[in-house]
Amino acid sequence: MEIDVAGGDVEAGLPRNGGEAYLVWEDLNVMLPNFGQGPTKKLLHGLNGHAEPGRIMAIMGPSGSGKSTLLDTLAGRLARNIVMTGNILLNGKKRRLDFGVVAYVTQEDVLLGTLTVRETISYSANLRLPSTLSKEEVKGIVEGTIMELGLLDCADTQVGNWQLRGISGGEKKRLSIALEILTRPRLLFLDEPTSGLDSASAFFVIQSIKNLARDGRTVISSIHQPSSEVFALFDDLYLLSGGETVYFGEAKLALKEETHKTSDPLMNLATADIKSILVEKYRRSDYASKARLRSREISNLQELEIKTIKGSPARWWKQLLTLTERSFLNMLRDPGYYWSRIVIYTIVGLCVGTLFYDVGTSYTAILARGACGGFITGFMTFMSIGGFPSFIEEMKVFYRERLNGYYGVGVFILANFISSFPFLVAVSVITGTITFYMVKFRPEFSHYVFFCLNIFGSIAMVESVMMIVASLVPNFMLGIITGAGVLGIMMMTAGFFRLLPDLPKPFWRYPVSYIGYGAWSLQGAYKNDMIGLVFDPLVPGDPKLKGEDIISNMFGIPLDHSKWWDLFALYALIICYRFLFFLILKAKERIGPFFQSLYAKRALHRFKKRPSFKRKPSFSNVSSSKRHSNLHSLSSQEGLNSPIP
Amino acid sequence: MATRSSTADDVMMEIEASKPAGNGIVVGGLSPLSESLWKEKTDTDFVGDVSARLAWKDLTVMVTLGNGDTQNVLENLSGYAEPGSFTALMGPSGSGKSTLLDALSGRLAANAFLSGTILLNGRKAKLSFGTAAYVTQDDNLIGTLTVRETISYSARLRLPDRMPWPDKRALVESTIVEMGLQDCADTVIGNWHLRGISGGEKRRVSIAVEILMRPRLLFLDEPTSGLDSASAFFVTQTLRALSRDGRTVIASIHQPSSEVFELFDRLYLLSGGKTVYFGQASEAYEARSLFFAQAGFPCPALRNPSDHFLRCINSDFDKVKATLKGSMKLRFESTDDPLDKVTTGEATRTLIDSYRASQYCYLANQKIEEMSKVKGTVLDSGGSQASFLMQAFTLTIRSFINMSRDFGYYWLRLIIYIVVTVCIGTIYFNVGTGYNSILARGACASFVFGFVTFMSIGGFPSFVEDMKVFQRERLNGHYGVTAFVISNTLSAMPFLILICFISGTVCYYMVRLHPGFMHYVFFVLCLYASVTVVESLMMAIASVVPNFLMGIIIGAGIQGIFMLVSGYFRLPNDIPKPFWRYPMSYISFHFWALQGQYQNDLKGLVFDGQSPETKIPGDYILEYVFQIDVHRSKWIDLSVLFSMIILYRIFFFIMIKVNEDVTPWIRGYIARRRIQQKNANQNTTVTPFGLTKSPSLRAYVQNRASGNGKR
Repeated sequence: MEIDVAGGDVEAGLPRNGGEAYLVWEDLNVMLPNFGQGPTKKLLHGLNGHAEPGRIMAIMGPSGSGKSTLLDTLAGRLARNIVMTGNILLNGKKRRLDFGVVAYVTQEDVLLGTLTVRETISYSANLRLPSTLSKEEVKGIVEGTIMELGLLDCADTQVGNWQLRGISGGEKKRLSIALEILTRPRLLFLDEPTSGLDSASAFFVIQSIKNLARDGRTVISSIHQPSSEVFALFDDLYLLSGGETVYFGEAKLALKEETHKTSDPLMNLATADIKSILVEKYRRSDYASKARLRSREISNLQELEIKTIKGSPARWWKQLLTLTERSFLNMLRDPGYYWSRIVIYTIVGLCVGTLFYDVGTSYTAILARGACGGFITGFMTFMSIGGFPSFIEEMKVFYRERLNGYYGVGVFILANFISSFPFLVAVSVITGTITFYMVKFRPEFSHYVFFCLNIFGSIAMVESVMMIVASLVPNFMLGIITGAGVLGIMMMTAGFFRLLPDLPKPFWRYPVSYIGYGAWSLQGAYKNDMIGLVFDPLVPGDPKLKGEDIISNMFGIPLDHSKWWDLFALYALIICYRFLFFLILKAKERIGPFFQSLYAKRALHRFKKRPSFKRKPSFSNVSSSKRHSNLHSLSSQEGLNSPIP
Repeated sequence: MATRSSTADDVMMEIEASKPAGNGIVVGGLSPLSESLWKEKTDTDFVGDVSARLAWKDLTVMVTLGNGDTQNVLENLSGYAEPGSFTALMGPSGSGKSTLLDALSGRLAANAFLSGTILLNGRKAKLSFGTAAYVTQDDNLIGTLTVRETISYSARLRLPDRMPWPDKRALVESTIVEMGLQDCADTVIGNWHLRGISGGEKRRVSIAVEILMRPRLLFLDEPTSGLDSASAFFVTQTLRALSRDGRTVIASIHQPSSEVFELFDRLYLLSGGKTVYFGQASEAYEARSLFFAQAGFPCPALRNPSDHFLRCINSDFDKVKATLKGSMKLRFESTDDPLDKVTTGEATRTLIDSYRASQYCYLANQKIEEMSKVKGTVLDSGGSQASFLMQAFTLTIRSFINMSRDFGYYWLRLIIYIVVTVCIGTIYFNVGTGYNSILARGACASFVFGFVTFMSIGGFPSFVEDMKVFQRERLNGHYGVTAFVISNTLSAMPFLILICFISGTVCYYMVRLHPGFMHYVFFVLCLYASVTVVESLMMAIASVVPNFLMGIIIGAGIQGIFMLVSGYFRLPNDIPKPFWRYPMSYISFHFWALQGQYQNDLKGLVFDGQSPETKIPGDYILEYVFQIDVHRSKWIDLSVLFSMIILYRIFFFIMIKVNEDVTPWIRGYIARRRIQQKNANQNTTVTPFGLTKSPSLRAYVQNRASGNGKR
C-alpha cells in the first residue's frame, strides 16, 4: 500500500507536461543517396501510421527491414547522409522531436559503471528536474521510478564496467529506461529493448514498459523476435519488411488474420513473394483503411497542446554541482582514472629519486639536474595519458546526455576540471615532494612550491591536450597514438633534446615551442633550480660556475623574464586549451546539423533533375542506422573484456 | 608404434566380437570425402564404424567458489548422443548448458570438478584437444583474411602433409559449400575497422573450421545466439544436415524459434543443473507437448513450444512476478494458463519429479546401459596431422598476410615513424661539429632509441588479437607454441626491416650523423634490433598480463625505467651502483643501444671547443663526457641487443608453457586441498576418486601415451 502512495506522490510532484501525445506520420520516405555509382537506396517507402497514448506499439520485422531507421526518423536522429521526406505530426502539428520532446532509449546502454543504480538515477534527476522541487520531492520521484521499474533489489549495486561485475543486462536496460522516464515524457521510444536479454528479463522489461504506457504515455518500441509471452503484451503491431508496411493495427488481430500460431512465422518475411503478397493484401485490407481513417482523425486534433521542455529546467549552478559531485565520485571509484596514476607516479618518483639521489653541485651534477628536470616535466607528465580510457567513457556519457539535452558543454568542462582538481593536486604534490626532497634540489620552501606548481601545470596541460584529442579522434587507439605523437613533438621542442636557440626558427621554434607546454615548464624548472647556485668547474681550480651563466650559456635559456612568468604562461595555455576544447565541442554540435540540412537540400535538388531513381529493396548489407555500422563498445573494440589467459 | 598397432588389433577384435550386438543404430553413409580422410587418419586397414556414440552417466560438476564454498552446477545428469542424430540442449540462462558441454569436452575451468563417467563408444575417454570438435561462443577469427583463406589455411595447418594439395582444396571447397558460404567466400571476415561478413556468416565460418577435419563428434555452444531468425534457421539446418552424415552433434541453444525447434532430433532440457526432460524432441512437441501435458503443463494453443518449455522452467519468472506485484499497479490480463497459478519453481520441481518417474527416463537409462556395454572404435584423431615444418610455414604465410592487410599492425606505425623521423631530421638538421652539437648528437641518439622505439607499443592491440586466435587454435590442438613463436618472428621481420630502413635512412641523412657507409649500416641495424626488442618485450608482457590496457601501461612503465638508466639522463658512472647500475642498466636495452650508437657516431670526429681555437676529439668526449666504455667494440653492444631478442622470445615461450601446464595444476591442487579439508570437516560423500584433474596439454599427452599401453 505504501508503494501506491509513493506512486501517487510521483504523479503529484511533477509538472504535468500537458495532455497526451498523439503522433502521426504520413508518407514517410527515407533514402540513402548515392551520387557516385550504384542506385540510391530507399530505406523506408511511404510509411503511414500513428501512435496513441495509453498504448504500446511494437515495430517488428526481420533485420534490415528498417525498424531502427523508422525510430530514428521519428526521433529526428538520422545519420548525416540520409534524406527524409514526409510529415511527422505531434498532436496535429509538424515539429521536430529531438532534444527533450521525446525520450529515446537507444540500443546501447551508456552509463557510468562506477555509480550505483540509485546514484545514477538521482544524479540524473538532480540534473534535469526543475530546481524548484525540494529535496524530498526529488527523492520521492527517484524512489518512485526505482519502484516502477523494479530496480529495488539492485538499487545499491554498481552498474559495472569492464573490470567490475555489476548489474545484469536486463537491469541495465531498465535503468536506461528509468533515466528517460524521470521527467515523465509523454512520448517514449525504445530501440530493441530486449536484444541480448533472456526470456525472463525480456518479459520483465516489456511488462515495465507496458505499465508506463497504461499511465497515458505513448510508447513505441522496435523489437526483434519476441517470445510469445512478450508479444502478448503489445497493443499495436507495426510490421515492416524491406521498408514497407506489411501490417499495421492491433497486435491480436494480426494473429487471427494470418492464422499463424505465433509471431515467429511472421518474421520470415525474407521470402520475397510472400512478402509482396502480404504487402498488397495489407494495402487493400480493412486494417489499412481503418488505420488511415484514424490517422486523419488524430491529425485533426489541434487543441491538444504539448508543452515542450527544451533542455533542462534545472539551474546551471545546480547542474554544475551535481555534475561535479558525480564526476568526482566516478573518479574516486574508478581505479583506472587517477588511483593507478598515483601509484605509478609514486613508483616512478621513487625511481627518479634514488637514481638522482642527493645530486649535489659537482660539475656532472649540472647535466644531471638538467636531465632530471627534463625527465620530470617531459616523461613523467607524459604518463598522464593513462587516464585516457576512463575519460573516453565519461565522454560517451556526456554525448548521450548532451543529445538528450541534459546540460551544456561549458558546465561539463567546468565540472570535469573541478572534480579532477583534488586528484591532480594529489598527484603533483606526491611526485613533487618525493623527487624534490630525494634529489635535494634546493633547501628553500618557495622553490619546492614552485616545483609542485610546475608539475601540476604540466599534468593539467597533458590532460587538456588529451581532451582535445578525444574530441577530434573517433576511437580510443587512434586517440592514444595521436596523443603520444603530439606530446612527443611538444617534448622534442621543449629545449631539452635540442637547445632552444638551436631549434630551426621557421616552424619548430616559433609557433611550436611557444604553443607546447614543454618549453615553458622546462624554462621554469631550470630557473627555479639553478639560479643562485654555484657549481664546481670542469677542471679543479678554475673559478666556480654560476647557475645563471649555466642557464644562459649551456642551456641557452634567456634570463629576461622570471620563472613566475613561465608558470603564468603555462597556466594561461591550460585555459586556452580548455577553451579550445569547448569550442570544438560546440562547433561539432552547430556545424553538424547545418551541413546536414545543406546536404539534404542538395540531394533533393539532384533527385528532381533525375527522371527516376531505381527502387531497390534494401537488404541488410547497407543500412543507415548507426546500429548496423558495426557498433562496438570500447571494451570489445580494444579487447578489454577478453583477458589473455 | 608397436603399442599403437597392438591397440588397433585389440580394437579390431573387440569390434568383431561386439558386432552382432550392433542393435540397429542407423549410421548415415559417410560422404566419400570424409571416408577418404578417415582412411588417411586411422592409418590401419579397417575403415569400419568410425561413428561416435557418446553416453554420460551421473555427471556432477562441482565448483569451488572464492570463499571455499562449493556449489553443484550440474547434478547427476545422464544422457546419450548417437551418430546421425542432432541433440539440442535447452534451458534458461544459468541452467548449466555450457557447463555440460564444457564437461563433456573436457574444458572445465580449473576450479570445477567433474565426477561421473563419460563413455565414447563404450570406453572412458577424454574428449579434449581434437577428439571432439568444440565450437565455442566467441568467434576468434583473423579479421583480415577472407572466408576461403581462413578455411584453407586451417586445412593446411592440420591436414596431413602427404595429402595432395588438390585433395585439400577439394575438402576446403566442399566445406565451404556445406556451410553455405559460397556467396561470401571471398569476403574478408572483418574486424573493428574493417567491415566484413555478418555475424551469422562468422558463426558458420567458425563451425566450418571445426568440421574441416570431419570430427565424428561435434559440440556447439549457442551457435545461434545473436543471429536473426533466418540465419539461425540456416545454421541449425546445416547442423542437422551434418548429423545426417553419421556424425554426433550436440548443441546448446537458447530460445529457438518454432522452425528451429522442429529441426531437433533429441531434446535435453535443463533447469538449475537438473534434467527436466530428455527424449525425442518431437514427443515433447507434436502431441502438444506430451510430456508437459502429462506433467500438468500443456502448451497453450497460441504459443511457441520452446517458449513454453522455457517459461515453465525459468525460475527467474518467479522473481519477475514478485517484483512486479510488489512494485507496480499490476495489470495482468487474466488467463487460463496453469502457469499463472503456480510459481515456476514449483512447476520445475513437478517436472523434474515427473521426468524421473516417466518412461522417458527409464528408456534413456536402458539405452545408456546398452551403449556402455558395446565397445567400439577408439576415436583418436587428436589435433593436427601436419608436420611441424608445414605448420610453421603455413602460419608464417598466414600471419604475414594478416600483417600486410591490417592497417593498424605495421602500416600505421610506418607512417608515424616517417613523420616522427622527419620531425627529428628537421629539428637536428645538419647537426655539424660545433660545441653545442656534442650534446645535440647525444640527445638525438637518445631520442631516436628511447622515444621512437617506444612507439612500437602501437602494434600491441593487433598482437593481442593474434594471441586470441592463437589461444583458440591452441586449445583445439591446431599447432604448437614453438610454431607460433617462430612464425610470428619470421613474418614480422620484413615489416620491421622496412620500417627501420626507411626511418633510419631519413633520420641519418637529414641529421648527417657520422659519415661512412658502415656507420649508417650500424645505425639502421641498431634501430632494427631495438624495435624488435620492444616487440619481444611486449610479447613477453602479453603472455603474463591479464588484459590489454594493463599490458600497455606496464610496457610503458618498464620502458620508462629502462630509458632512465640508459646513461643519457644520468651518466653511467653516476648511476647508483646497488640496484640501478648493476642489474638494471645492463638489462635495459636502451643502455646497450646508446653505448653502441655513441661510439658509432662520435668516434673519429673532432668538435669545436668552447672557444673556436680549441678542438675536442670525439674519443675524449666519449670517455669523459658521456662516460662510454670505449674498449668494448660497438658490434658487441649490437650483439647483446640481438641476444636480448632471443631471450625475450624464449621467455614468452616458457610463460605460455607455464600458463598451460603449471598454473592449472596449481589451481587444481589448491582447490582439491580445499575440498578435502571441507570433506574432513563435514564428512560429505564426495569421493576423491571422482575428482578429475583439469585439462592440461601435457597431462593429456601423457595420459594418452600411458593410457594406450594400459588399455
